[in-house]
Amino acid sequence: MSTISAQLRNFKEPDRDEQSLLFFAIPPVHVKDDGAGQNNPEDSLHKMEINAMLSLDGAEDSYPGKLHLFPPYLAFASLDRKSVRFTIPLCTVRRVERPNARAGVYSLSILLWHGMKISVQLTSLRPAADQFCALLSMALKAELQAGKMKTVKPFSKTCYSENLILDTSPVADNEREDGSLIDGGRKVGEGNAPAFHGGLGLKFKFPGDPKKLREASKTKLWTTYFRVHGRHLTLLRYPQATRFVQVGLPNRLRGEMWETLSGSIYLRFTNPGRYKQILEENKGRTSTSTEDIEKDLHRSLPEYLAYQSEEGIGALRRVLQAFSYNNPETGYCQAMNILAAAILIYMSEEQAFWLLDVVCDRLLPGYYSPSMHGTLLDQRVFESLVTRCLPVIHEHFQEVDVQLSVASLPWFLSLYINSMPMIFAFRVVDCFFCMGPKVLFQVGLAILKINGEQLLQIQDDGQFIHLMRDYFNSLGDSAHPTSSDPRMRAITKFQELLLVSFREFAVITEETIFSERRRFRNEIIASIEAFSKRSAIRNLKTLERFNKEQVGFIYDALFKAVCVEPPPAPVPPPMSLLTTKDTIEERPETRIGPKTFKVFLSEIATWARDEKIVMNGFQQRVDREVADHELMDRLFWFWDYSYRGALTFQDLVTGLDGIIFSDLMDNIEWFFNLHDKNKDGFLTKDEVLTVSESLLFIFRFEIGDAYLGAVSRFMSNAFEYGDALLPRPEGSGEEDDATPQIESNQPYLSLATFRMVLLADEVLESFFETDLSASFRLEPVPLMELSPSNNGFLGGIWSNIATDTNVKLFHKLSDEVGKTIGRHQVIHRPSIGRYTSIEDTRPRESLLTPAMRHSSSESSLKATSGASSTEAQSRPSVSSAASAATSATLIATDAERHQFALSPTSPAGLDPLAQATNVVANAFLERTPFAIDDAGDDDDDDDDEEEEEPDDVLDEVDAFLDAHETVVTDEDGEVANG
Amino acid sequence: MSEAASGSADKSVQVKLVLLGEAAVGKSSVVLRFVSDEFQANKEPTIGAAFLTQKCRLEDRVLRYEIWDTAGQERFHSLAPMYYRNAQAAVVVYDVTKAASLEKAKTWVKELQRQANPNIVIALAGNKIDLVQPSLSGSGSSATESEDEADDATATPGEAAASDAETENPRQVPREEAQAYAQEAGLLFFETSAKTGEGIVEVFTEIAKNIPIESILASSRGAAGRPGTSGNRPGTQEAVNLDENQARGRDACNC
Repeated sequence: MSTISAQLRNFKEPDRDEQSLLFFAIPPVHVKDDGAGQNNPEDSLHKMEINAMLSLDGAEDSYPGKLHLFPPYLAFASLDRKSVRFTIPLCTVRRVERPNARAGVYSLSILLWHGMKISVQLTSLRPAADQFCALLSMALKAELQAGKMKTVKPFSKTCYSENLILDTSPVADNEREDGSLIDGGRKVGEGNAPAFHGGLGLKFKFPGDPKKLREASKTKLWTTYFRVHGRHLTLLRYPQATRFVQVGLPNRLRGEMWETLSGSIYLRFTNPGRYKQILEENKGRTSTSTEDIEKDLHRSLPEYLAYQSEEGIGALRRVLQAFSYNNPETGYCQAMNILAAAILIYMSEEQAFWLLDVVCDRLLPGYYSPSMHGTLLDQRVFESLVTRCLPVIHEHFQEVDVQLSVASLPWFLSLYINSMPMIFAFRVVDCFFCMGPKVLFQVGLAILKINGEQLLQIQDDGQFIHLMRDYFNSLGDSAHPTSSDPRMRAITKFQELLLVSFREFAVITEETIFSERRRFRNEIIASIEAFSKRSAIRNLKTLERFNKEQVGFIYDALFKAVCVEPPPAPVPPPMSLLTTKDTIEERPETRIGPKTFKVFLSEIATWARDEKIVMNGFQQRVDREVADHELMDRLFWFWDYSYRGALTFQDLVTGLDGIIFSDLMDNIEWFFNLHDKNKDGFLTKDEVLTVSESLLFIFRFEIGDAYLGAVSRFMSNAFEYGDALLPRPEGSGEEDDATPQIESNQPYLSLATFRMVLLADEVLESFFETDLSASFRLEPVPLMELSPSNNGFLGGIWSNIATDTNVKLFHKLSDEVGKTIGRHQVIHRPSIGRYTSIEDTRPRESLLTPAMRHSSSESSLKATSGASSTEAQSRPSVSSAASAATSATLIATDAERHQFALSPTSPAGLDPLAQATNVVANAFLERTPFAIDDAGDDDDDDDDEEEEEPDDVLDEVDAFLDAHETVVTDEDGEVANG
Repeated sequence: MSEAASGSADKSVQVKLVLLGEAAVGKSSVVLRFVSDEFQANKEPTIGAAFLTQKCRLEDRVLRYEIWDTAGQERFHSLAPMYYRNAQAAVVVYDVTKAASLEKAKTWVKELQRQANPNIVIALAGNKIDLVQPSLSGSGSSATESEDEADDATATPGEAAASDAETENPRQVPREEAQAYAQEAGLLFFETSAKTGEGIVEVFTEIAKNIPIESILASSRGAAGRPGTSGNRPGTQEAVNLDENQARGRDACNC
């Protein structure tokens, strides 16, 4: 329901090499590999392409084109990329010769395993040709060493075309006219009969009348073709092959031709046994996909006999399940059942499995994915093609508000299989596998064009659908029933349709489709994302006190976080847990882990990001990083209301609600609860320390000492009050000086005391009253750039920088330049930014120790020389250390040193007070660069230096880097003198 | 049976109706029963959406339902707006033997109420009651209902009884629960069986009664007048609903 996927955002257009591999249907080298691909020699083999002229022994023409070496495949395409092409696995090559022909002609003769000889004349320059030959021979050797040559023959036994080219066919006698087997396939696999793969049609008959389909003569045509041009793995596609496909493939050959033309045969060839293995490994596994599959098994081409029997249903189930196991992200999508049921009539399960893979992965990418973005994209593309090719129809549809997709979406999604009568749909599918996805568009456009007249009459979606339905039902009728010419009368509407598709819409090429897809992809992704956002918000159980815009912003932040830091894929619960079904089935919902949460938080809370304002003389920008602190983890677990170790969108909304709308008292309680791990209403001493660490984290970039002072006062007060309120151990007198001892993990501070301590301090009070809530901001984080270029020096370059990585490179470059010319400057942006003025807010008078605060240079020294030496056990010492924190001054800047390290939470047994001083002192040392401090500082030129004279600042930085102890001591000296 | 699509000459009121609901709850079967009074055990899943029309006479008016029967699988969800835009009525179907399907129905209702035509009349239909024995909770309403059932039930009561005998009652959604939800959300409510035909016609008849026909006529005449007299709150008419069931019966839809 509310699943958020950044997958669409991360889409990358295939590069040129990948495009070629896709074009030639060459499977990726490691196909969903199962660890078998290590040390693959193919990795070291080089690809190459070269101009070449192809000719074939026994065949007429020769074709100029490009020969590609993609180990372990050799591929060729004619210049127009469609007349002639082949993709041949190198292991089918038996010999490559270089005939000694005329001088200046560099040709190769490639002998394939079944005796076919391909001649290619390399027309590039000699050195290129030499290199190509060298690479080819290396690739061939690698195949030989891998023993791949031996796999060809057994594989060919699974291909029916091998049977056709034999002079005496062992199975021909057993075939009906339509290609199905007379004995229903019982003998297949028995004895010496080769195990040709075949579909359910063998037993349950193929759809259509074999006489009308002219099965016999078509089969004969192909048999002749195979003899000359090779078959299955080694099929050379010449122009006549395309023509044969367009008149319809013969039933018995259809399955094999589909896998050959689509290239799924290479997957089956390179992954022998994988299909069975997938089924075996996942036996009995259930998922949403398998449940959905079960629902549809009996609803897939139910009128076909095989799907009324367990045999057909079983095959369908196995193929769909295997696909969903192998592609868990796609799983199962309705319409795949129809496609799978259709192809299973003509192909074996294994063949169908790989064909389905190719369809979903390469031919129709994203069609069946959970977002169905491919479907939506192609609908958009189709619409644009209609606008371009059939403007009149488009305008009419606009006028009467008819949506093209209401009719055309199912055409594409089911490859016309459930739109047209099956025999016609299969012929479209023939062309689809042969010529690619453009066929779907060409046929769609032709349908609209042929029905143009009537389409201009329709007034609404309903009439449109009706018209289309009637047309599809009449596809078998004559296209020209009134013609006097009997040959014209014999042309069916379907023939007319194909004619129009491939003649009039020949302009629609593969490239057209790809470029249109590129054009609309972002638009489609944006609309899908907007839709998921709307439904995610709608599906929230409660918006809490937020309005829709605010929740929308929370969603955006979540979405961004998911893009930056994708949450781990949900792990299916172990099977034992699946059987208990007492609760309503859970819908998939995106849950984020702590890592993603931090990114999310950094989008919302000002203190959850490190913001550095960088100035380098050319530009002023804000570098933003996700902060990392235990407080952020704490918040994550605090909001994990359902104890799942992961947060949903709802959790985030509810969590934020708990803080954004709160007032002073609520906020204090919230902060208290956040740190009260065992929820017993008391903080332990350790937890008090954690509170101060959290506060110090939040205040880490604040300018001035106000916050630091406030935290140190908080700590001293907390321990003071805490100790004072502890029950005195029995027997000890009232005036006993010894502090009662209590373990650091025991209940110590109640909410009431906590509140009192916080309210004793003006800074903290105002922080909890408004600033804490206000630090969660439901508004877009302002853009990274403050101003692109101040002096226009790099302005021109700037406008050319497009990608993120380029921007980063540019920043780095300008930083470097800025550094060399001494204008590089980094300032941390404060998260709260309230007390930025130099005057400090004085703490309220403490009730217990009225005159506690006065600066002492001695303790200052102590603190700076490393708090580890502080033997601070007693109260006065703590307070002096704390006040030291407020009095000393540090000016520090350094890109490397900006990280803010706090001392770890106290190990058990350490005295919490010592620990406390440690924390403050450390925090003090690790102060934010450029923090300006107040007390004891005679206002030097700090202010001016930073704001107005960056050059000087750099000097000061260097000085600090060289000897920062000296600086500190100097400052101390000043403090002492002052 | 289905009238020609071009029949714009007659004076019937066109009502666009969309069916929504989880996969395999029987949306298409409900439509098929309504449109051609047939039942197919294994209906192909709907890809995108199927479109059917059916005329229905209500008192002196003829309504022409244009029914968009949508695909139920979750991932088709994003396509749904294409079909429910401008719809005047929606039937949200769930399966009384699957509790999760009611949850899904609720999200559809939510979506319709926020995204669709503001005056849309929504009916909630719990389908497949042929699979469950009459509710044992013994409330008055369910008793009368099972009496009514006898008139309509053309198919095998024996089958249901047999399955009941050997297993516990497969019903997962009590009638009362769904009805209470429907009342609260302002929906018409029915329990139906596309297999036996029970309750199917009533769904469409009641929708017809609750549709602000005048405003449809007004808007189809091209008048930009606001269709939104908030008039018929469907939820308030439950009572009428039950009374008139018997009187109307199957003849109400004269196809």
